Amino acid sequence: MTARTWFLALVLVAGLAAVTWAVRRGQLSPADFTFGNESEVASVDPALTTGIPEARIVYALFEGLCRPRADNNLPEPGVAEKWEISEDGRIYTFHLRKDALWSNGEPVTAHDFYYSLRRLLDPLTFSRYSYQAWYIVNAKKYTLGGGELSPGDLVEVELPLAAGATNTMRGPLLRGKLVRSELSEEEKKDEDTAGGNRVYVVAIDGKERKFQAASKDDPLKSGCERARQVLLDFHEVGIRVVDDRTLEMRLANRTPYFLDLTAFHALSPVNQKCLEKYGAPAWTQPENIVTNGAFRLVTRRLRDRIRLERSENYWDREHVRLNIVDALSIDDRTTALNLYMTGMIDWVTVPPAEVVRVFMKEQPKRNDFNPAPQLTTYYFLLNTTRPPLDDKRVRQALSLATDREEITRVATGAGEVPALSLVPSSMPHYQIQPCAPFNPEAAKKLLAEAGYPGGQGFPKLEILYNTDQQHQAIAELLRKQWQRNLGITASLRSEEWGSFQDSQQQLKYLVARRAWVGDYVDPNTYLDMFVSGGENNCTGFANPQYDKLIADAAKEPNKVKRIEILQSAERLLMDEMPIIPIYYYVSRNVVRPRVRGFYNNLQDLHPLNAIWIDPNVDKQAAVPNEFMEPVP
Amino acid sequence: MIWFIVRRFLGLILTLWAVFTVSFLLMHAVPGGPYSSERNLPKEIEANFKEKYELNKPIYVQYWHKLRDILHGDLGPAQRLLDFNVNQVIAQGLPVSACLGILALTFAISLGLSAGIVSALYRGSPADIVLMSLATVGIALPSFVIAGLSIMLFVFMIPIFPAAGWGTLRQLALPAICLGSVYAAEIARITRTGMLDALSQDFVRTARAKGLSQVAVALRHALPTALLPVVSFLGPAVAGILTGSVVVERIFAIPGLGWHFVQAALQRDLAVSMGLVLLYTLLLYLMNFLVDLSYGILDPRVELK
Repeated sequence: MTARTWFLALVLVAGLAAVTWAVRRGQLSPADFTFGNESEVASVDPALTTGIPEARIVYALFEGLCRPRADNNLPEPGVAEKWEISEDGRIYTFHLRKDALWSNGEPVTAHDFYYSLRRLLDPLTFSRYSYQAWYIVNAKKYTLGGGELSPGDLVEVELPLAAGATNTMRGPLLRGKLVRSELSEEEKKDEDTAGGNRVYVVAIDGKERKFQAASKDDPLKSGCERARQVLLDFHEVGIRVVDDRTLEMRLANRTPYFLDLTAFHALSPVNQKCLEKYGAPAWTQPENIVTNGAFRLVTRRLRDRIRLERSENYWDREHVRLNIVDALSIDDRTTALNLYMTGMIDWVTVPPAEVVRVFMKEQPKRNDFNPAPQLTTYYFLLNTTRPPLDDKRVRQALSLATDREEITRVATGAGEVPALSLVPSSMPHYQIQPCAPFNPEAAKKLLAEAGYPGGQGFPKLEILYNTDQQHQAIAELLRKQWQRNLGITASLRSEEWGSFQDSQQQLKYLVARRAWVGDYVDPNTYLDMFVSGGENNCTGFANPQYDKLIADAAKEPNKVKRIEILQSAERLLMDEMPIIPIYYYVSRNVVRPRVRGFYNNLQDLHPLNAIWIDPNVDKQAAVPNEFMEPVP
Repeated sequence: MIWFIVRRFLGLILTLWAVFTVSFLLMHAVPGGPYSSERNLPKEIEANFKEKYELNKPIYVQYWHKLRDILHGDLGPAQRLLDFNVNQVIAQGLPVSACLGILALTFAISLGLSAGIVSALYRGSPADIVLMSLATVGIALPSFVIAGLSIMLFVFMIPIFPAAGWGTLRQLALPAICLGSVYAAEIARITRTGMLDALSQDFVRTARAKGLSQVAVALRHALPTALLPVVSFLGPAVAGILTGSVVVERIFAIPGLGWHFVQAALQRDLAVSMGLVLLYTLLLYLMNFLVDLSYGILDPRVELK
């Protein structure tokens, strides 16, 4: 053999050896419980996550004052072993359990919650869920910072970070009283830079000083000192550490679902020492992270898996029966199902729609598939700022001309329920306020009244959806129904996710699809979206009467009356119709029969700490698991 | 030779800069941004967020800062995968894509070359027709069809391979074959053409006249010349295969770079997109450079200036 052949052979052997080595490194021992967790999680930082895959991991790693029960997701004692609620429902005093520990062995204290809640509310944390804590007195004002402050407010001025400080630390704080803030009309126009141009005049120890929250490269106006940000003094916010194990929260209004919120994943505590030592995002790495939940983070491989291990420091460790859990990141629904069918994973969260239809028809009935109502509504947004949709009659006509039954029959197929309201019909203690059902005759009449008899002269509509087969099928049906029932034409426009979000927010659409997953089990999570200028309103709908109803409901101490007010708000919304509800979701989990402690519930939330594997499942005497129990 | 390398190096810098500039402008021209979400931020906080990633600065300032960071080897934090920076994303994904790529290439080259040589030597025979038809099918079929068929065959009907995942060589077999088959088909066709061309040349006739065996003539004399087009095909192919395949990685849940490429663009993760585009440019350029170098070795007529 020549030198060249030898060389080639050597390269080949070295290459294959490298591959074998690299693949070996990826090998892990099998887990007790493995599930497909959809997309790669954006973060494991409780304050930064919004998605459902993220929530599954955060709930396993962290625990709030309360935790959601496995069966019905109602709050049960978590880090707080008990609590008192004042007569007027506005002061909550939580008593933390002694044996609640961080994964590093230190106790979880009231100071940890104080730190974490402040961090969640800090505008520089960019939490999308800070609004879940805005029920606390002054919390919203703290988050919104600069623009919301008025002269006379006590403020805290955060100075720039000291050299060498990690990015999770805060700069030195100065406390004082706001004398005035200055921002010219010209500067106000550009929302992106207004914050940095505002000058705060603050009286500190009887001396007036000027601050500007400009970033480090930007020039300062004359006489100004540089600040990182100027916020309401956090002492003004209704969170107080009574002692190491007692935390008090004062709410602006009686909020019947506040305990649910303390169990919400974004309000979980994080470890200050860990954050400040490593900085973000390094603190979230498995070798650094300190957690307080039932599981700890062992391995994190991007787009492969997150491995969780039972925490030896968790107070309720005796009831945690899984030792190792793998959450696989699998983007493709078919791939997840393939893995399930070949026995590699135990739980598929969302199988492909076409398979769901086959599963539904199977006889005898499958013992691992049991769709159940879920607190999510699929609807279409109507841009109320643009003609012809600025006319209420047109919006109502479109809704009347929509045959929801056909959509759920043809395009979805897992037993989704046609929706005539924004709030899902499965919402407990609430009576939904439906809009008028499918009625093509009434629709035609209304459209004629609006000046378009038989659809004549009606401008072409455009239906926007994010690229997805099922959304396309639904939009296509809608287009046909409107054509058939109203004689109007519509075209479809598909955008990928990023542009789609942007188009909605900037009202660059006429009709757009949307779905909303309830953040908590209360109608308010749906209804308060549509207040004037709400961040998630996205329809241009602005109605002072509606705003008043939502505000009144928040203030109403009487439970029954509060629900009545919310119902009248929904009635108003379903009359004005800035949205067209289409259907309520059902969950579509596929769960192996040997998995126990997995329950169908409204929020489709399945805490890992309750799940266990039944070793007797293959035997004759095996009981069907809780998941397969009939759905009410 | 030295001058050739220096010139190519300068070319690389220029290419990277041009790609950076064009990508930067394109990324800032599309609607949406890393702050787009279904849970919208209040306006004030969105402004803070833009401030953090300097999205509120004039575009030339953003351009300059980004360029400066990249020159320091810092691709910045990922804007959607919040727990990682771009360097980590690449460090985790590239070895995985490379492993899959090496296996796929090994498969593609060995199968493609053998098929191409056999076809050329037995031109017009049934073997030639069968192999070339297969190659045509291989090129025509998109990889998701091949992947789907092979999963049905080798995962469900004859269960010898796992359905997806990463961690064992067995898990890599199917994706490597699916990824490699298209390349194998291409290589087979190119090899065949190259061999036919080489076999009809004078130096091959001379070799035959010397009384060398058919195998020696084919492998030692004709093959090196026939390989030249294959090598030029392999350069860009290697760059593409190392940075991952979108379809195959998605179907087989392989944690390589390919799917990041798509996700980053869809989710407006400007930092990851930029990092991957630059990485791809770098690899593509390097591979083409290696191809040119190997020409000098394979073909005595080529001189690198």
